[in-house]
Amino acid sequence: MKSFLKYSFGLLGIMLGTCAPAHALMFRFSPEVDPSLAISALTLLAGSLAVLGVRRGK
Amino acid sequence: MNSDRGSTQISRSHLITSILLPRRLLGRLYLFGALVALEYVYCFSGRGNFPGHLKILGVNTDLYGQIPLFAYVVFLGFGRSRWRPQKEEIPFGRILFGVHVLCMAAVLSITVATQKGLGWLLFDTFSYTKSALYLLGTVLLALACVPPRSWVQAIRSTGLLWLYSSLAGVAGWYLGSSVKLLWTATSNAQSGTMQSGTLYAVKAILSVFLSDVVIDPASFTVGTARYPITIAAGCSGVEGLGLVLLFTSVWLWYYRKEYRFPQSLLLVPCALGCIWLLNILRLCALILIMNARGSDLAGLGFHAVAGWISFTIVALAFSLATQKISWIRKSPVAVSCAAGPSHSDGVEINPGTSAELREYHRESPAIRAYLIPFLAILAAAFVSKAASGSFEWLYALRFFAAAIALWYFGPKLKELDWRFGWFGPVAGVAVFLVWMAPVWFQHQPAASPLGQALAELSPTARWTWIAFRVAAAVITVPIAEELAFRGYLARRFVSREFDAVSFSGLTLLSICLSSSVFGLEHMKNLIDWQHLLLGTLAGLAFAAALRWRGRVGDAVAAHAVSNLLLAVWVLGFGDWAQW
Repeated sequence: MKSFLKYSFGLLGIMLGTCAPAHALMFRFSPEVDPSLAISALTLLAGSLAVLGVRRGK
Repeated sequence: MNSDRGSTQISRSHLITSILLPRRLLGRLYLFGALVALEYVYCFSGRGNFPGHLKILGVNTDLYGQIPLFAYVVFLGFGRSRWRPQKEEIPFGRILFGVHVLCMAAVLSITVATQKGLGWLLFDTFSYTKSALYLLGTVLLALACVPPRSWVQAIRSTGLLWLYSSLAGVAGWYLGSSVKLLWTATSNAQSGTMQSGTLYAVKAILSVFLSDVVIDPASFTVGTARYPITIAAGCSGVEGLGLVLLFTSVWLWYYRKEYRFPQSLLLVPCALGCIWLLNILRLCALILIMNARGSDLAGLGFHAVAGWISFTIVALAFSLATQKISWIRKSPVAVSCAAGPSHSDGVEINPGTSAELREYHRESPAIRAYLIPFLAILAAAFVSKAASGSFEWLYALRFFAAAIALWYFGPKLKELDWRFGWFGPVAGVAVFLVWMAPVWFQHQPAASPLGQALAELSPTARWTWIAFRVAAAVITVPIAEELAFRGYLARRFVSREFDAVSFSGLTLLSICLSSSVFGLEHMKNLIDWQHLLLGTLAGLAFAAALRWRGRVGDAVAAHAVSNLLLAVWVLGFGDWAQW
């Protein structure tokens, strides 16, 4: 049951989550959807997550 | 003799495909999905309703694109654990792939020709032709990546997964269509739900600060009498909710063995609530800024950037929460028992050493010195743009942010070889010439508001701004970007222990991948092929300079020279669009 919940939620979240930004990118609703801003923001997020995920000590 | 030459050619082509392409079933299935997605986005996005424009069996809808997409994602997601143990190498159908490329070129040509106003192409005959070519091309790609025998094997080994995936594809398409109702302005009962909720929340908060708040629920307008704003569908927060839902779902999915379920799912509504609240605060701040400054332009930068800042903050807070809250994380022993004995670099790691395994999968601490200067520039750019209107008057912030980060990591960075020879500056000149080639073919400079904005400043302010702009372009940006893209990313594609890889040890694949990401960073929109290509070529040249003698100094010199020449061009010819 837990496994079913985990996978179902994951799939549903990814599907619904993809719909909104994909729809927004297609129809360019608002200035936040500026692709160059989006690339910068996602790079900043990915880089920050990588830095936060470093090994403790060495 | 001929036989030897033939076998040499075969082995060489096999070598190329084995280096550039995944060799096993799971990798090939990923490759097929990635190529289809890439073609969908870069060939057809913004070029009409493709493949919604496909006409098959008299029906002209977008379900032909969405249902297979969802179904394939589900098929891959659930089937990959079955296919991962299969170590057999499978051949790549180069001829089939070549025919696939021809089919897609034909489809793209028909689509572009239709857009250019060749009305006769809109006849059904050509729609059917295009549909047939697209389907044929996709089938050929599927067979090129994965031979028929391997497809049968993949389907048989997963039982009825193909059926469940197909049903999930239909469900995904239906749910995706339903979600649109949350923000489409139709007469449906669900329509405008997001806008109404945001509207009243903004009014409630604004009422605390302002006495003259006006609201018009019919047009979703709220604000002051002087500066009312209309909450458009996209400003209602649904995009932020979608992004956060996507991020949190992918995060929990990827690290599912490390978290407790269903406890960790509670973090998702918390994250969604945060992004919803931050969007409301963003709109309130926008109205307050415009009302205080008395200008629509004052809030322009803030309006565009604040949403991304909110998303980044929520995503980082979510990832930190999942790592720090012990109620959500499994104990190390539980993680290792769930995962079973693990193999890492050929060494079996016992459950008792799971803490070490988890540490092994983390990034090297050296990443900080390589990435933080570049991240500081990105973060400063967001702050600077948020505080600006159409002119980024706080540009100097980017310079100072990078300079402070470089100074902080100075002792670590001094260990690198910063010397450079003749090849670096020559590569920089070559990059500048290639970068400017499209401009030379255009006989007049592109229009840019930057020149006008600078002309309106006092001479002192103007030259101070230009001085920091040039200093950033020639000093801090080349160092920070070379550390991030060549120093870290290119070597990270070679090994997790990137700092143990010498700069001379970069592979062709790692150089191409990091250069592609560098090209992506220079795109101004999703179909900005010009800057994608130029950025990628520049990345290749800088990587070549780096690999030449294995010195980061050569890459930085190349980057700095190209940026310096660009600055001279901009200032000399007044071609502000290049900045």
